[in-house]
Amino acid sequence: MSTVDRVLIVGGGLAAVSLADALRSGGHTGDIVILSAEDHLPYDRPPLSKDVLLGRSGLEDIRLRPDEWYERVDFRTDARVASLDPDAGRVTLADGSEVTGDRIVLATGGVPRTPGGDPAVHVLRVWEDAERLRPRLVPGARVAVVGAGLIGAESAAVAAALGCEVTLIDPTEIPLLPVVGPEIATVLHARHAEAGIRCLNGGVESIERDGEFLRVAVTGLDEPVTADTVIAGIGIVPDTALAEAAGLTVDNGVVVDAGYRTSHPSVYAIGDVARRADEPRRHEHWDHARTSAERAAATLLGQDAPAQKAGWFWSDRHGSRLEGVGTMADAETRIVRGDAADGAFTVFGVAQGRLVAAAAIDRPRDIQAARRLVGRELPVDAAALADPATDLRKLLRARPVREER
Amino acid sequence: MTTTETGIKVADAGGIEDGEALVVDRDTTGHDDDIAVFHSDGAYYALDDTCSHGSASLADGWIEDGEVECPLHSARFCLRTGEPQCMPATLAARRHKVEERDGALYLFPGQEPAA
Ligand SMILES: Cc1cc2nc3c(=O)[nH]c(=O)nc-3n(C[C@H](O)[C@H](O)[C@H](O)COP(=O)(O)OP(=O)(O)OC[C@H]3O[C@@H](n4cnc5c(N)ncnc54)[C@H](O)[C@@H]3O)c2cc1C
Ligand code: FES
Repeated sequence: MSTVDRVLIVGGGLAAVSLADALRSGGHTGDIVILSAEDHLPYDRPPLSKDVLLGRSGLEDIRLRPDEWYERVDFRTDARVASLDPDAGRVTLADGSEVTGDRIVLATGGVPRTPGGDPAVHVLRVWEDAERLRPRLVPGARVAVVGAGLIGAESAAVAAALGCEVTLIDPTEIPLLPVVGPEIATVLHARHAEAGIRCLNGGVESIERDGEFLRVAVTGLDEPVTADTVIAGIGIVPDTALAEAAGLTVDNGVVVDAGYRTSHPSVYAIGDVARRADEPRRHEHWDHARTSAERAAATLLGQDAPAQKAGWFWSDRHGSRLEGVGTMADAETRIVRGDAADGAFTVFGVAQGRLVAAAAIDRPRDIQAARRLVGRELPVDAAALADPATDLRKLLRARPVREER
Repeated sequence: MTTTETGIKVADAGGIEDGEALVVDRDTTGHDDDIAVFHSDGAYYALDDTCSHGSASLADGWIEDGEVECPLHSARFCLRTGEPQCMPATLAARRHKVEERDGALYLFPGQEPAA
């Protein structure tokens, strides 16, 4: 492999910043150029549907990196890449200027799906989205949230806490069930109604403007839902436009190998936009942006990849924290630890004697242990997992073969 | 003698298990944050307990290989230097000196440990 002097990263989110960090800590002394379409320096997205929407954090509070950081990288804001030439190792910006790199890394994230073009239909992905939505969430405002997954559930909870009249609409009866399992999903979903949110089980057929407000037609419902504001949390489409036009393999994301290489040897993809060919699904979580960057950096620098870690996500709603490791649908058996009745409990998913998934409400320690147990593929004992007296840390320690990081 | 010279006794030696931490309340120390005293691989360290990224208690974190991982968004801090090892934290955790002496652990709030 030729030496890599200059790494060009397209996109200015968590994955891009994490890659620059990982390259520097891996000893890369060459140039790192980051081209970001946004006109802000990188900021953290999870707070957008939490503290930012609640009015507790501003853009400065959620900046990913301090000023000094930008001395070590060539970071350009307002630099949307219009096209990519993998063979030439070159990108062309919207203004026609060209930038080159020995390796090009796509970290372009995704764009939210939206059910309609009315300005009162909001999505939540970038700072400006949150800024636009926040003033609409006033006491008494009628807010319809379409989609009860992660971002939908969080924004519904925030809107309810701010005194809005919230209707949450989702075609699945109990959202997130395949990911976290029925025990956790049921408790979580019930919290919405407890917080005064009206939950509707149905698909959205149309969203139409009626003078001052919107009418949201829901399958199986005679009367449409009247709303001043609609928030759509119905997922993202990976931003694969550059890769597609450049002829790279794209299939629900830019397809990469375990080292995050695309179908072109000098182009990589990380974060929300990347989909690993050796895994069953694409990850759209914060932790994946970070870990995919670390692994890509290792490939770029010709170093050993860091130990594979289990996918992990969190979500905050109604004052509780949900966390998940892996996907519960992959489990053959589920083991409950703690008591669902007191609200904080963990469910472990086991398949073939190994922990493959875990989900918890307000039990961060269990999740920290589960992330390591899943990642290290250690055999687990179901009775020990279920017993609240078992120190999960000891389960990890007791094993003779411990992988070093 | 004052506690600035002798430190505050926070535990007996061996009173904090490896991989565990103990929180010393700000009312006890007079410091502006609670202080977490960590035991990792036979050594003791003390940092401000509140994660520099948010509101989590680092004593509730995962302590391993000389680092603590925050329970909230998994920023990792080096126990020896207090430096954040990854995002989302950007600020170092303030450090305090801990000393093992005469079968007990003593904390020196506000005093940096020797390098
Ligand atoms: C509101 C919200 C809440 C979330 N909450 C959680 C949570 O609680 N827990 C969790 O685990 N995850 C959460 N996530 C998911 C997490 O934030 C994402 O997985 C993560 O931000 C992905 O990072 P990324 O760098 O891959 O993509 P992004 O952060 O989307 O960054 C992509 C960047 O690329 C830029 N770009 C795109 N095209 C171009 C181009 N052609 N040229 C130049 N630049 C371009 C974009 O402008 C953007 O800046 C949340 C996401 C959102 C939106
Ligand atoms: S509060 Fe510690 S990482 Fe966020």
